Amino acid sequence: MSPTPASADRLGDPLLLTRRFAAPRALVFVAFTQAEHLHHWMSPQGMTMSHCSVDLRPGGHFHYALSGPGGSTLWGKWTFREIIAPERLVVVVQFSDEAGGMSQNPFTPVWPATTLSTTTFADDGDGTLITLRWQPLNASDAEQQVFDSWHASMQMGWGGTFDHLDAHLAACVAAGRKG
Amino acid sequence: MPPGRIPRGDALSATFAALADPTRRAILAHLAGGEATVSDLAAPFDITPPAVTKHLKVLQRAGLIVQGREKQWRPCRLQPAPLKDAADWVDQYRQFWEQRLDRLEDYLQELQSQRQEKHDEPHPRKRRPAR
Repeated sequence: MSPTPASADRLGDPLLLTRRFAAPRALVFVAFTQAEHLHHWMSPQGMTMSHCSVDLRPGGHFHYALSGPGGSTLWGKWTFREIIAPERLVVVVQFSDEAGGMSQNPFTPVWPATTLSTTTFADDGDGTLITLRWQPLNASDAEQQVFDSWHASMQMGWGGTFDHLDAHLAACVAAGRKG
Repeated sequence: MPPGRIPRGDALSATFAALADPTRRAILAHLAGGEATVSDLAAPFDITPPAVTKHLKVLQRAGLIVQGREKQWRPCRLQPAPLKDAADWVDQYRQFWEQRLDRLEDYLQELQSQRQEKHDEPHPRKRRPAR
């Protein structure tokens, strides 16, 4: 189940998110790949998609801008690598700018500049199960570490070796977080 | 001697980088049970106290632990606040995508009910949209 990367790519451990939709697979795939659909759902609450262009072919881009209430604009870009309708979509994701260049993650300075995102679409009864998988692409060691910690905390919550820590944090929160 | 105010993003990077090491995570888990000395912390691992001290410095810089000065053996204590910040941030990012998928779910419902309406029209227009 490897995402068939170019052989020179260095890929990190994946981060997964799954979701079932009560809609046929073909429709869900179209919603993920066409500008007229993407602009309806890709912007989070309170933001609008102020730019949205899609060139759906391998090597083509989905270039978008999310605008917030205070005039802030967040640019992003996908570069399509693999388009197998309605099964699988592989894209390189990066923060971008108006000209379609590369930019840094605004949320944290140490973050892989590019991540490879693989979305698979599977029939699930009369609905569709999608699996989103992100992997750091050609990240530096430090970037990889940041992503891995994020990934570890997302996958396990604060489980595993963090069990005690979790209990402790809960106790601290309950105690009004002193000290 | 509080360190200067670190930009939020940088502080988070320091937290994440500190957490990226399994030995340091184990040290934090140990400290969650209460304060401990450097030799207490070295005991469960096959590493020397100086190696533990190195890890402790990373954790200290990230603000995840404090080391007491008052006693000769300088016990270490967990500082959970940065962990809370990191967990919050991670959660925000996850929510960002969850929210998108929620919107997609609503949008797909809307699309399908529109299509259903078209389908249910008693006299559809002659030209059906090409598929």
